[in-house]
Amino acid sequence: MRRSLALGAALLLAVSACSVGTSTGSGDGAEISFLTFETPNLTPAYWDAAIKRVTDRNPGIRVRKLVSPTADGRTSYAKQLLQSGQFPDVMIAVDSAGFAEAGNLYAWKPEELGDFQFPEANPVRGAYHQLPANTQTIPPVYYNKKLFAEAGITAPPTTWDELVADAGKLKEKGVAPFTIGGGKDGFPSSMILSGLVSTEVYATAPDWLTQRRAGKVRFTDPVFQQAFGRLAELAARDYLDKTSVSRDYAATEQAFLDGKSAMYPMGNWFAANADARKHDFEIGVFDFPTVDGKHVVPAYTGGGVIVNAKAANLEAAKKFALGFQLDKGQLDASVKADGLFPAVKGYQPPADVGPTFKAGYELYRRAVRENAVVHAFRWETADDGLLPGMKDKVDQAAQDVITGRRSVADACAFLDAEWAKAG
Amino acid sequence: MKRASWPRPVLAVLVAAVFAVPLYLVLANVFKRGDLIARSPASPPLPPTLANIHAVLTRPDGLFWVSLTNSLLVTLLSILVLTVLSAMLGHYLARSAKRWTKVLTLVLLAGLMIPPQVILIPITDVLRATGLMATVPGLVLFNVGYYVPFGVFVFGGFVRGVPVELEEAARLDGASRAQVFWRVVFPLLRPATASVLIFLGVWIWNDFIDPLIILGPGQGTTITTGIYRSIGQYQADLGSVFALMFLATLPVLIFYLALQKQFVKGLTGGATKG
Amino acid sequence: MATDLIAVPSTAQRRVPARRRREPISGRLWHFTSFGAPGVLVYACFVLAPIAISFGYSLTNYNPFNPPARFVGFDNYVLLFADEQFRTALGVTTILTLIVVLVPNVLGLGVALLLDRKGWLYTALRGVFFTPVVLSSVVVSIVWSRLLDDQGPLNSALRALGVEHPPGWLSDPDLALYSVASIVCWQLLGFCVVVYLAGLQGVPAELLEAAEIDGAGPVRRFRAVTWPLLAPSLTINTVVLLISAFKTYDHVKVITNGGPGSGATATIAFDVLRTGFDANHVGYASAMAVLMLVIVAALTTVVLRFLRRREVDL
Repeated sequence: MRRSLALGAALLLAVSACSVGTSTGSGDGAEISFLTFETPNLTPAYWDAAIKRVTDRNPGIRVRKLVSPTADGRTSYAKQLLQSGQFPDVMIAVDSAGFAEAGNLYAWKPEELGDFQFPEANPVRGAYHQLPANTQTIPPVYYNKKLFAEAGITAPPTTWDELVADAGKLKEKGVAPFTIGGGKDGFPSSMILSGLVSTEVYATAPDWLTQRRAGKVRFTDPVFQQAFGRLAELAARDYLDKTSVSRDYAATEQAFLDGKSAMYPMGNWFAANADARKHDFEIGVFDFPTVDGKHVVPAYTGGGVIVNAKAANLEAAKKFALGFQLDKGQLDASVKADGLFPAVKGYQPPADVGPTFKAGYELYRRAVRENAVVHAFRWETADDGLLPGMKDKVDQAAQDVITGRRSVADACAFLDAEWAKAG
Repeated sequence: MKRASWPRPVLAVLVAAVFAVPLYLVLANVFKRGDLIARSPASPPLPPTLANIHAVLTRPDGLFWVSLTNSLLVTLLSILVLTVLSAMLGHYLARSAKRWTKVLTLVLLAGLMIPPQVILIPITDVLRATGLMATVPGLVLFNVGYYVPFGVFVFGGFVRGVPVELEEAARLDGASRAQVFWRVVFPLLRPATASVLIFLGVWIWNDFIDPLIILGPGQGTTITTGIYRSIGQYQADLGSVFALMFLATLPVLIFYLALQKQFVKGLTGGATKG
Repeated sequence: MATDLIAVPSTAQRRVPARRRREPISGRLWHFTSFGAPGVLVYACFVLAPIAISFGYSLTNYNPFNPPARFVGFDNYVLLFADEQFRTALGVTTILTLIVVLVPNVLGLGVALLLDRKGWLYTALRGVFFTPVVLSSVVVSIVWSRLLDDQGPLNSALRALGVEHPPGWLSDPDLALYSVASIVCWQLLGFCVVVYLAGLQGVPAELLEAAEIDGAGPVRRFRAVTWPLLAPSLTINTVVLLISAFKTYDHVKVITNGGPGSGATATIAFDVLRTGFDANHVGYASAMAVLMLVIVAALTTVVLRFLRRREVDL
C-alpha cells in the first residue's frame, strides 16, 4: 500500500510539472494575458478568432486567453485576481473604476485615442483608462409587434403615460406587458429603473451621480424617489411578473423570444440575438418613453479594454489593446455577435446586419443628431458612476420594490445607507 | 415475525422516485436533443442522442479535458498527501494523552467548521508570500492544510481501536516507530483510509471557490469551475451543460462505488465487526 | 467527530496507551517532528496563519483600491453590530443551519429505517439516495434552479393540476431561503441515510428479538434498543451537517446570488466574500470573518460538550 502511494505521488508530481494553459501566437515574443468572458453571443471561437486577427498582424505578440468564470461577474473576478496577485495584462469590458484610482491601469495619452469618437468618455480623476470602444443604448424597449397589434396598439408609446396605458391594454388581453429577470445576473431586474432614472433624473441633472459622489444629492431626494416610484407603480398594477426576479438573463431573453410577454426593456446588445435567434413574430424597438415626451436617450460609451499599468510587456499589451479595438474585422464581428455600436471614427456597420440592429442603430443615430443622449444609470463605469459594489445594490433595490419587500422610500434609504458603507 | 412484505418495497421505491426527480432530469437531458430540453425538460429522451456528450468532449478549446486533468491532478495529489499526513498525526494524537495534545485536537476540530471562503484573502497572502499562488502545488497544500483535521479525526478514532500491545510488541522486536506504524498499524486502518479517501476526494473534486481563486485563470479550470464558466456560453445550449455535469460526476461516482464497502466500514469502524 | 463511531465496543478501544517509562526528551521530540509536525505545520500555514492575518486586517480600513490602510481599532466591529445587512446575514445563516441540521437528520433516519433490508432493490435505492452527496453543489444548484423556475417542470406540473399561481420558489423573498435550504437538505440526505444504515446494521438482532419476546411493540423497541445504539450515527451526522450548513456558499452564489432583493438568502460566508471582493472593503469583511470564527468556536465548544455528555472519548 505504502509503496504504491509513494509511486503514485511521484507520478502525479511529474505530471503536474507540465502546465495546462493555452496560448495563441508564435513561439517567441512578448506574452500577454487577456481576460475575456463568454456569453451565448461571445463564444470561445469568437474570442479565438478575434485574438488571431491581431496576432496575425503582430507576430511579436503571444496572447494567453483567460476566461472569467461568469460574464456578469468579470469585474469582481478581475478584483479577485488583482488581490491574489494575478492581475491580467489586458481585460475587456471590465469597469475601470477602482482599479484606475489605485494606479493599476495604464492611462492612455490623448494621441493614442485619436481614432475614437468620444476620447473623453469614462474619465477617472481626469485620465482615461478604458478604451471608449463602443456605445450601448440602455435600455431601448423591444416589443412584440404581433402582441401589440392584437391589443390594438397602433404606434409605440413615446410618453410614460402612453406606456402605462398600452401596458394596461396588453394586460386586459391577458398578455404579460413586460419581460424582466434577475437571478444570478441581477441586471435584468433593474433595466426599467435604469431607463426611468436616466430619462427623468439625468435629463435635468446629467451629472447627478457625480453630485451624489460629492454628497450634494441623495437617493432619498424627491426627484430620484419619484422616478423610482414609477417602477413601483408598474409593480402595483401587476404589470411586472414578480416571479421573474429569480430568472437569469438567458432564460429572460428566451421568454421574450418565446412570445411570453410584449415588451422587453434591454440593452441594445439584445439586437444581435433578436436577429439571430428563432422567434415567430416581428420585433420592433422604441426609445424608453419619457414623462414629458422629450427626446432623451440613455446610452454609455466605454466597454473597451483596459491595460494593466504594471504589465510585464506593457508595450505589447498596449499594442494588442489598440490593435484589437480598432481592427475592422473585429468591429464587424462585435456588431454581428454582440450588437455593439462601435465608437470609432469613420466606422460604418456592415450592410448585412439584421433588421432589429438596424432599427436600434437608427434610434441611436437620431439621438446623437438631436443631442439627446444622456448616460445610462447604473451602467457608468468611471468617476461618473456608482461606487464599487453599488450596482448589485441597485439591482437588489429594484427587486425589493418589485416583490414588495420594501417601499420606494425604504429602498432609496437602503441605497443611501449602502452608499455610505461603500464610500 | 412475518408480516405483509409488499408495503415496504413499494413505499421505498415511491420515496426514492420522488427524491430522484432532479437526478432523472439530468440523465434525461444529457441524452436529449438540445432544442427539446428548453421546451420539455421533463420528457424522456426520445429519440436518445449522444450529440451533447460528443459536443463537450470535442470542444475546440478542450475545456473538458483540461479541467479533467486539473481535477484529477489536484484531487489525487491532495488525498494522497492528506492520507499520509493525517494518518500519522491522528496516530500521534491518539497515542499521546497529554494536555497539550488535547488542546491541539480541539484547535484542529475548530478548523473543520471554518468556511474556507472567509479566510480566502489571507490564504492568498500566504500563498503569494511562499510563491505558490496560482500553482497546482499551492492548491494541493491548501487542501491538505484545510482538510487535515478531518483525516485526523477519522484516523485518530480508528487508531484507538488498534491494541497498543501490538505496537509495543513490534517495538520490542526492534522495529522503528515509522516501521511499526506503516507495517503494523496502517494496514489495519484500511476502512478509515477508505472513508478519508472518499470524503476528501469528493469534497476536493467538487470544490468551487478555492480552485477558482487559488488556481487562478492561468492554469485552466477544474471540473467544477469549468462547468460554472461554460454556463455563460451554453446558457442557450442546455444540452452541453447537462452533458458536462454528467461527465464531471462520473469519475467520483465510480470512485465511490469502487470503495463503497470499505467506506461504510470506515464510518462504523468497530461498531460492526469490520 | 468520527471518533465515537469508530471507537465502539471492542475491548481494545478503552485502552489509552499504557504509561511506559518516560522516553528521553529527544525521542519524544523526534516522535512529534516525524509524526505530528508535518500535518500541524501545513494546518498552521493555511488555517491558523490566515485567521491571524484576518484579525489583523479587521483592525484596519484596508481597501486595496484605496490605499493606504489605516489602523481603526475596533471600529469595524462597532459598525458591524449596527449593520442591518450583517444582521440579516446572521439570521439567514442561523435559519439555514437549523434547517440543514434538523431535516436531513430526521428524514435520513426515516429513509434508513425504510431501507434497512437486504437485497438488490435496497442496495440500488441506497445508491440513488447517495448520488447527490457526490455531486458538485454547482451541479445540484443548476439543476434545481431549472426545476424551481416559474416556467420549470415543478410549476408547470402545479399549473396542470389546477394551481393558478404556483409559488415563486426562488423569487419570493419570503420563500427563497427555504427553497435554498431544501436544496442543501436534498443534497445531504443521502449521507445521513448511509450513516444511519451503517448504525442500524450494528444493532444486534438478538437484542431486538429479546425485546419483542418481552412484549415490546415496534415503537418501544425502537426507543429502547435501536435509538440509543444509533447515538454515534446521530453525532456524526449532526457534526457533518453543521459543518456543511455553516459553510453554505456555492448554492447561494449559483442559485440566487444572495437575492431576491437585498440579502434574502445571503449567508455570512456569502456576505464576507461580497464585501471583500465586490465592494473592496477587505478590512470590514475581515471583521465579519473574525466574528464568524468566534461563532464557530462557540458552536464547536457546544458540540464538544454534547459529544462529551455522550461519553465520547475525544
